[in-house]
This record gives sequence, C-alpha cells and structure tokens, in this order.
Amino acid sequence: MNSPLPASALRRRCDPQRLGFATTAALQGLERAPGQARAESSLAFGIGMRREGYHLFAMGPEGYGRHSLVRARLEEEARRREAPADWCYVFNFDAPHRPRALKLPAGRANAFRDAMARLVEELAAAIAAAFETDEYRNRHREIETELAERQERALNDLGARARGDGIALVRTPSGFGFGPFSKAGDGVMEPEEFGKLEAAAQQRFEKRIGELQKELGDLLHQMPKWRREALDRMRGLDRDVTRAAVNSLIDELKATYAALPHVQEYLERVKADTLANAAVFRQAKDGEAPTLFGIPLPRPEGSEGPFRRYAVNVLIEHSGASGAPVVTEDHPSHAALIGRIEHVAQMGALVTDFTLIRAGALHRANGGYLVLDALKVLTQPYAWEALKRALRARAIDVRTLGQELGILSTVSLEPEPIPLDVKLVLVGERHLYYLLHAWDPEFAELFKVAVDFEEDMPRGDDDDARFARLIAGCVAREKLRPLDAAAAARVIEHQARDAGDAHKLSVRMQGLVDLLREADYWTGVAGRETVGVEDVRKAIDAQVARADRLRERLKETIVRGTLLIDTAGSRVAQVNALAVLQLGDFAFGSPHRITSRVRLGSAGVVDIERESELGGPIHSKGVLILSGYLAGRYMPTKPLSLSASLVFEQSYGGVEGDSASSAELYALLSALAGAPLKQSLAVTGSVNQHGDVQAIGSVNEKIEGFFDLCRARGLTGEQGVLIPQANVMHLMLREDVVQAVEEGRFAVYAVRSVDEGVELLTGVPAEEIHARVEARLAEFAAKARAFAAGGERPWQPGKKK
Amino acid sequence: MAARQEEVRIRRVVACFAPGSVARPEAVARLAQELDAELLGLFIEDVELLRFASLPFAREVGLASATLRAMDVAGLERQMRAQARLLEDALAAILNPAATDWSFRVERSTPASAVEAVLAEGHAPALLIPPGGNIRAERRLVKRPELTLAAVKEWLAAGKPVVILPE
Repeated sequence: MNSPLPASALRRRCDPQRLGFATTAALQGLERAPGQARAESSLAFGIGMRREGYHLFAMGPEGYGRHSLVRARLEEEARRREAPADWCYVFNFDAPHRPRALKLPAGRANAFRDAMARLVEELAAAIAAAFETDEYRNRHREIETELAERQERALNDLGARARGDGIALVRTPSGFGFGPFSKAGDGVMEPEEFGKLEAAAQQRFEKRIGELQKELGDLLHQMPKWRREALDRMRGLDRDVTRAAVNSLIDELKATYAALPHVQEYLERVKADTLANAAVFRQAKDGEAPTLFGIPLPRPEGSEGPFRRYAVNVLIEHSGASGAPVVTEDHPSHAALIGRIEHVAQMGALVTDFTLIRAGALHRANGGYLVLDALKVLTQPYAWEALKRALRARAIDVRTLGQELGILSTVSLEPEPIPLDVKLVLVGERHLYYLLHAWDPEFAELFKVAVDFEEDMPRGDDDDARFARLIAGCVAREKLRPLDAAAAARVIEHQARDAGDAHKLSVRMQGLVDLLREADYWTGVAGRETVGVEDVRKAIDAQVARADRLRERLKETIVRGTLLIDTAGSRVAQVNALAVLQLGDFAFGSPHRITSRVRLGSAGVVDIERESELGGPIHSKGVLILSGYLAGRYMPTKPLSLSASLVFEQSYGGVEGDSASSAELYALLSALAGAPLKQSLAVTGSVNQHGDVQAIGSVNEKIEGFFDLCRARGLTGEQGVLIPQANVMHLMLREDVVQAVEEGRFAVYAVRSVDEGVELLTGVPAEEIHARVEARLAEFAAKARAFAAGGERPWQPGKKK
Repeated sequence: MAARQEEVRIRRVVACFAPGSVARPEAVARLAQELDAELLGLFIEDVELLRFASLPFAREVGLASATLRAMDVAGLERQMRAQARLLEDALAAILNPAATDWSFRVERSTPASAVEAVLAEGHAPALLIPPGGNIRAERRLVKRPELTLAAVKEWLAAGKPVVILPE
C-alpha cells in the first residue's frame, strides 16, 4: 500500500541562505522578468522588419509585463532612429474643401506657422501702405476721372447735337429725356407753346427727339462696358501695386524654404491668391465683419477673419524630439486614432475649415511606433476598420464617422491623406489573436509577427537567486522598502505557487508588484524599515482574506451539515471528490460527494449530471471512459449487463472537467464490490481506460480545500487526499498544510493507478476488489442470460419476445 | 484761402438735392455735425423738369437700363415726393440722435431761384452744397453782396461748395 508523501515533497522551499544577500537593497535589480526569450526575439524581429504587413501582436495574459517590455524595446529602437517629419494642413486654393497636407523637416512646422502669421501681418501692412501712396491714388483717380470724363463727354456731345436742333437734354430722376427748347431759349418748351407749333414742326421735333433717344440708349448701353474697362484697369493697377509689395515678402520666405518644393509651391499659391484678393488686406482686421443676409457673423474664436486661409494648422511637430515617437493610445476610438475634424458654431450652424483638423494617434506615431490594446480597439466602434484601412493604404485619411458611414451629406472637409509609416504593436490576450486570425482575413496579412509571452519561467537551481534580482528591481522601481532574504524567499515560493508548479516561477508581474507593495504596507504599519517574512505572509493572508468570503461560507455549510460531506468513517459507493471554484482571481478547492448505484441492466454507466444537462462535455467524456475501463478490465469477452448511475450529490450548478473521473470509478467499484470507502480521504485525478490515474489542474487548491474542512472538524491523522503521481511536481502547498503533514495529522498520497487508489480507500488489496467486481458483473451477466433464456429481458419485466 | 477758411465758422449748411442728382444725405449730415452748424436740406422740385414731363411726347431713357419709358407729371411728382421723403428720413436718422439743429424744405422752382431765396434769408456765414456736389471739394468764398441769380446759376453748374460770408 502507498505511503503518504513526505512533507518535503509538498512544497519546494526557497532557502534564504542560498540567495546570498541580506536584503534586496544589495542586489542589482532586473528591469524585467527573465524567461521571455521567445517574446524578446519575436519583438526584435518585428521591430527590425520594415516591410509591409509586419506589424506585431503581443499576446499573453494581463499583468505579465507585455506593455512594459514592448514599450522598453520600442523606446530603445526609437532612440536610434531620427525624428520623423512634421505635418501641417494648409488651405487648398484650388479646392477649399480638400485641405493640403504639407511635410516639413522635423521641428520646423511651428517656425513655418509663425513665419506665415508674420507674413500675413507684414502683407497687410505693406499692401495697405502701397495703396496709400500718392502714386496709387493719382493713378486710381486718373482712371476714375477718365471714365467720368468719357461719359460726360459723350453726354455733352449728344446734348450739343440736340441743342443744335433746338432740343434740350433734360436730367430726370432716373435718366435723361429730350424736350424742345422754348423760343426764348431759357428752358424746355411749355406744352401750350408746343401745341401752337405747326404740325410739321411738331413732327420734326418728335422725329428728331426719337432719334436722339435712340442715340442716348446706344450711348447708355456703352457705359457699362466703359465702366468694366475702367474696373479692369483699376484691378490691374491694384495687382501691380500689390505685386510690388507682396513679391519681396513672399520671395524672402521662399528662400528660407528653398529645399522644400512643396512649401515653395504653396507659397507661390499664396502669392497668387494674395494678388487676386488684395482688397482683403486693405481692410483693417477690425474692419467689416462678414455678414449673412446683413447680419454680422460671429468669427470663430482665435479667427483672423479673411486671413484665416493663410494660417498653418500644425498637425504634428517634433521640435526637441531626439528620436522616433513611441505612442501609446489608451482610448483608441475612431477619432483618437485617425484624427478628427472639429466644428465651431456660427449662427446655429456648425462650420469647419482646415484649421480645425486635429491629429490622431496614427499622426503622432507616424514615422515611429504605436502601441494599442487590442481589446480596446476592437470594442471601439469602427476603430478596427479605420486602423486596418490606414495600415493597408499606408496613409491617414481623416474622415469623420458621419462621412465614413455616409450618414452626413452636408459639406465637410476631405483633407489630403498623409502617408503613413508606422510600426503598430497590438497587445492583447491570446484568444483575441487566434479569434482574429480565424475570423478576419486581413489580420494575418497585417500582423505577421506574433510575440507570445510566457506566463512562467523555469525554476532551476540558480533561478531563485535570479528571481530575487527581479524582486529587487521591482522594489527599486516602486520605491519600496527592501526585503530581507527570508521575505524574498517567501515571495519566490509564492510565485511558484502562482505558477501552480514547484519547478516554475510565475512571471505575472502585476501580481508580484501587488504583493511587494502590500508587504511594504504591512512593514510600514509595523514600523520596520525592512520587509520581513511575516510581512509577506501577512500580505498573502490579507489578500486571501479579502477574497475568501464564499469559500468560508461553503465550508460553513459543510461543517453545519447542510452539504453532506463525511470526513470520517466508511461507506459503500460514496467518495469525496474535489472541485475547484474560480471567483475572479481567487481559486479555491472544495470537496463534493460522489455516489454510485449499480443494478442489472444494459444501460452501462449513466452520468446523471449529463442526463440532467448539468455536466459539461469533458466530464461526460470522463464518465464514458469508465464504461471502457469496466468492460475492458472485467468483461472483455462477455456483454456488460450493468446499469450504473453516478452523481455529484448536492451539486446544483454545472460540473465540468474530468478530474473527478477516478473518484467516480472508485465509487463504482465500491458499489460493485460492496467495499466501503474511507470518508476521511478525498480523491482527485482523471483516469484512462487502462486504469492509469492522470494529472489534473489546481492540485494545491484541491488539497487545501479538503484540508480546511478537516481542520475545521478536527484533524485526526487519518485524513488525507489522493492525487495523481504526475501532480507531485506541482505541489506548492500552504505552510499550514505542510506543517500538519509533518506532524502526522494529514496526508497526501500520490497514486499512479486505480489499483493503488482503491487499496488506499478501501484498505483491501486491489486484486480482491477486482475479484469481487468481476464476480458481481458475472452474476449480472448470468442473470441476464437466464432472463434471456426465459424469453424475458430482465430490465424490461413483463415484456416478452 | 485755407487760412481764411479755418477762421470762418459756418452757421448754416444749405444742402441742395434735386431729382436726378446724386444725393449723399449721410455725408452732408456728418459735415453739419463736424462744423457744428445748422443744416437745411433743400429739395428742389425743378419746374423745368415738370414742364418737360407735361409735354405729350415726354420720354425718359433710363440711366441704368437704357430703356425708353413714358413720363407724365403725376408720376414725376410721385417720384420726387418719394425721393424727398427718403432724404428727410436719412437726415433725421443721423441728426435727431445728435441733437443738431436741422430742417428740411421742398421748393418747387428753378434750382437757382430756390437756392437764391434760401441764401437770401441770411444765417451767414453759410455753406452751400449744390445738388450732386462734392462736399469735400475746395470751397469758394463769396460775400453776400455777390449773391445774384446769375451767380447762383454759375455756382450750381460748377457743383462745388460755396461759403457765403456776411458783408
């Protein structure tokens, strides 16, 4: 019969003496957890690979230092690269709704913006001054006078010709008329005088007046043309005067940006626009405001009114930057990623222009690196699609969601897309990576580099000391009190427990940092300067105490007899199995009673959990394996005439997993053999069809769950847990469990096979149990045959063939 | 002459308006305010124009449209009344709030006779702004004894402001 495991096998201790330091203050701290060689290598490849589609997906659970490692490696690389170009949006003089993107060398965008602002001020002053010169005024007046004289001369000529025919040219409120002079020649003839004229004279006057009216009409038709000609000449004059003022100023600015053809071209457009709109500069800034139906429009805040078109909207600039940018966007919404177009309210309407285009994270990271949380991107409406579109097109196209969805038909901006050169790192859980890979065909094309983070590191002989350096690094970074060697050893053991393996250390950095911070807190409460083992212990206990309300309630219901679990005595077909409940980040084990009933029949092993739809598929698989075991072991050549049922008693939620399959087999064998099972023992482990006991998960929590119940009822020395031999290497049990084992008050047995387990549980040799089972099954088979010979199916009495 | 102009304090501005001439009521109102002088707006319903309109074949060629329209006295009178009312309203809008003394008068006469009559009322030194005249043009200074019908005709034809000084 198996002996219990020695206490030393239940917890792999870290020897403080072997760590070789007094406190962690003496250690050179590690920045990051070791054991991420695969991730580091993938990261280095992904960062270095500048080809299209080689973006990275850093995957692993939360709290394992993915962000910090990614960020650190990106920053190292970014320092070696040059700062990327600055980008601005400027007015597009050809198509105002499509602002132009201007690229400038890193750190020069602000200077260009300021230079343009100064240029506008100088242009306003220079142009206004040019129009105030005597030369301009004289030439302007000359054109005006020439037009007036031309019109007057034409009218005077007509008037003179009319006068020659005895006809006066009369100015009316809206034009001109012709009337015959009176005989006295002192004005227009009275109607009576005209009436006294001979008919021929009257007709002559009327005929001549008609001719003059036609001439006058023709003349007046000419006048708008003369005015247009004069206006053209005035415009030409304005252009000449403006050009003289503008050329020198803009050419001077062009010389500053001689190496930048796009800026040169833009400045040429500014020059042309300035010449065409010189009148704008002649109005003072506080001149007439723009109006809508005569109502002055309020100008947007900070607006320079008509000069706004010459403004430079610095979208992104890198003055003072020494390397490529590394940007982390914590709220990766559609707008936060690709930028947005803001609006201002004017007269109840929302209006916008190129100065209201705002940069997104892609703009800020352009030429460098962008780190995003995959889940956040996927949960932000339309952000994922916008991100992929930008990566595919290698350009950032700022569009509002309204434009993108086509739900807004109002006039808006379509800024010129900005070329995108960014290395994107998505950080997310593994399942997201695999889901995206499976369901999004573009994902594999864009994210070719998987950076897979380990959750633990090996715990070899030297690894405890290496891990102590990681602890020292965390302590230094978090500015905590140093840990003495015993405390560090306790932390290392805790990390092994967190990994669920005596030979591994969890690299869940968040959990480690939390433990160190909380231990530091308790050290402070105790008024000490160095964190001791008691402080670490207290921190761990306090973490558990904060989370274990349900565990305690469950234990209480068992102790009070509401949930029936025996921890003493023996009973046929009843065994204590162990289950684990995961609540948030706290997991604990708890015993469950499994019972079995057997009878003659042909139904095989019936899983009541499955029949009642409370059992999951893996649990059902475990139970089906039992039928295979029974048939193969006991009735390889005869039909199995058995109906057996198995159930998790008082289980009202779902049951999943196969870790109770060995316990179910023990209950079944007990029922068939009529051999009582010790209720002081609990069992965990799955079983295969050959009767081998196989490893299960959360072995520590399961043992502790039964231990806690036994301790609550009083440890007798008879109590213990059967675990698979394969799980011994995972044992990192609580110190109180180890102590109880040391004192002989509790036991942990490692079993390899059902035979070993059944002997421990029944105290009867396995061969005898098997013989009894075989006999019972043979009895069932014989009875079945007898029934069959009588033409009756034993499991359906009364029915005859 | 400039020095002389500065010495003269204008007591009254006589701004003449006539149908068909360019009217700048706001400009003359502001000038009166600047000079701190009383303003008399004089709208002259030109009898010669009325006589022309009463001719059986009276036609008008529109300045802006260059189209031929028939004219009659009633229509012309309506136009002149409307123009006079607009001018009076424009002057009132500026001068009433400023508490400047002002009045508006409509005279049916020849322009020269109407102006001569008004200037003969006194109030010198007075500034005469002819219909459509440029108020900022150089002013001609004359003494009251020079005020004759022929002289007024000449001033109106010149279209420049005239300052009538006391004897």
